[in-house]
Amino acid sequence: MGAQRNSLLVSSNAFRRLHPWQWTRSLACAAGLLAAPVPASAGDATDGTSPLPIEIHAFVSQGFIKSTSNDYLAENSTHGSFEFSEVGINFSKQLTDRMRVGIQLFTHDLGPLGNYRTRFDWFYLDYRFWDWLGLRVGRTKLPFGLYNETNDIDAARVPVLLPQSVYPVSNRDFLLAQTGGEVYGIVPLAHAGSLEYRLYGGAIFYDTADATSTLSNVRGPYIFGARLMWQTPVEGLQLGGSAQRLRLDGEAIFAPAQIAQLQMAGQLPSDFSGPLKFRIPATLGVASIEYSAHNLLLASEYSRWWVSLSSAVPSFSVPQTVSERFYLMSAYHVTPWFTPGVYYSVLFGNVDDRKGHDPAYGSVPGTPPLGRGAYQHDLALTLRYDLNSFWLLKLESHYMHGTAALNPALNDNHPTSSLTQDWGVFLVKTTAYF
Amino acid sequence: MTEHRSYPQIRTGCPTRRALLWSLLGVFALGGRAARAHSAPAFRILIHPDNPLSSVSQEFVTDVFLKRVTRWHDGEQAHPVDQRGDAEVRKSFAERVLRRSVSAVKRYWQQRIFSGRDLPPPELDDDDDVVGFVLKHRGAIGYVSGSAKLGRAKAVSLQ
Repeated sequence: MGAQRNSLLVSSNAFRRLHPWQWTRSLACAAGLLAAPVPASAGDATDGTSPLPIEIHAFVSQGFIKSTSNDYLAENSTHGSFEFSEVGINFSKQLTDRMRVGIQLFTHDLGPLGNYRTRFDWFYLDYRFWDWLGLRVGRTKLPFGLYNETNDIDAARVPVLLPQSVYPVSNRDFLLAQTGGEVYGIVPLAHAGSLEYRLYGGAIFYDTADATSTLSNVRGPYIFGARLMWQTPVEGLQLGGSAQRLRLDGEAIFAPAQIAQLQMAGQLPSDFSGPLKFRIPATLGVASIEYSAHNLLLASEYSRWWVSLSSAVPSFSVPQTVSERFYLMSAYHVTPWFTPGVYYSVLFGNVDDRKGHDPAYGSVPGTPPLGRGAYQHDLALTLRYDLNSFWLLKLESHYMHGTAALNPALNDNHPTSSLTQDWGVFLVKTTAYF
Repeated sequence: MTEHRSYPQIRTGCPTRRALLWSLLGVFALGGRAARAHSAPAFRILIHPDNPLSSVSQEFVTDVFLKRVTRWHDGEQAHPVDQRGDAEVRKSFAERVLRRSVSAVKRYWQQRIFSGRDLPPPELDDDDDVVGFVLKHRGAIGYVSGSAKLGRAKAVSLQ
């Protein structure tokens, strides 16, 4: 596992073949991002007479992933992998009518990520002055889009994997939480419904244990953003938009032999001794619509990410690339214990080259076009069975066309353009929670 | 006249009259059902007797039970209280007032709980517990089945 992580950016060619948005994903993997809460339901620790109890909730999930070709999320997923586990427990207490504190511990394993190291998933102090103004400080989930905050809460959604174009699990640490503050509130609009706003700012901290031999000192010095959701007068219908700006800093480390090779090729200055410092500024935006009423859920989101890579060495810098992400999702509660769901999700790594006619930016001459590595279409079908009020089982299948979301490091560093274009993924996941 | 009221006459009378008679029977049947529903509504919404309101809007109740709103109009902290997930009265309340199935409401709370956003209202076992809770907390709001004994708790109408 460590070897695979280390191989993420070992090759300078691989390093340069990556689009900035792929860098973001790869860095997430390389940094060994961990973090993510998961499911459980509202067990209630109340005696039924006090509105201010201590609440304890927890969950345990175990999944299985099998791909028909291309290793996806986990090493050797083509042979089937059980490296898909999550455990979490949280404690919350309403200290006063206006003040609440909470903390969640989380550990998981998803292919090269997690490796069962426990961390604080979130912790906060929340003071709600009025319904239209509240303040939270600590490590808080990022309100990006409809479901980012619940990206890893299995019990709270129908699919095993949310649409990976907008909510990639490999980017958890960039998208999941920040350490800082948040201002929030709900403003009533009389007969026009209500407006929920969230404004936040802070930093992204990585566990240094997540560093690899090819990347080190990865950190997010700042992140700030906002989400605005309009709860329309039509019950269950909400519209909104989210945007966030962040920057990732770090250092890429090359082996001495690689440095010599790159210097001979003129891609590194002759006096370069490494490591190579880099910065990845990114701006993410998403427009959202959701209808959730009675037994029906319909949701759709459209997102664009603007990402670039800068370093002191021009040949290792990539101008801003804009990726495009979209999905349409539906689910229906047929019975209280059975909910099927379906979604179609699409990802284009570069809106200027949706079909991959060109090679990746900065590729050496003669590199083939990105081709299938420029896009990924994902058609997913899920069957969710709520076996009882604290245990569920999900079966899910995906038909994939394209390889844009695949991690070369999980596929023997083969470029995405050379991986199988049409492939499938099957997942089984069970979660117990309270 | 007597023979016209007999059952065979209904079955064998002319189509128009037969349709009319069956329609009347249907009206009586529906009326009976409506009368029963009136005498025992699926649920009643309760508040503390010191709360001056006599009615609440469906939107307000939804917002309070989903904790989008945490205070009454006079600034008093609102304390919604639920019933067990498998209670018939909860199913009626969720579908009629919250416009969601109970499982959808539970998923909503799972999202809130595990993202650290909020905690759900307490779930009590039965109508008596809800009445007790409402009487104990001035800002409480709950619901009970139509036939429940309310004690001093105040039932309010839903607008």
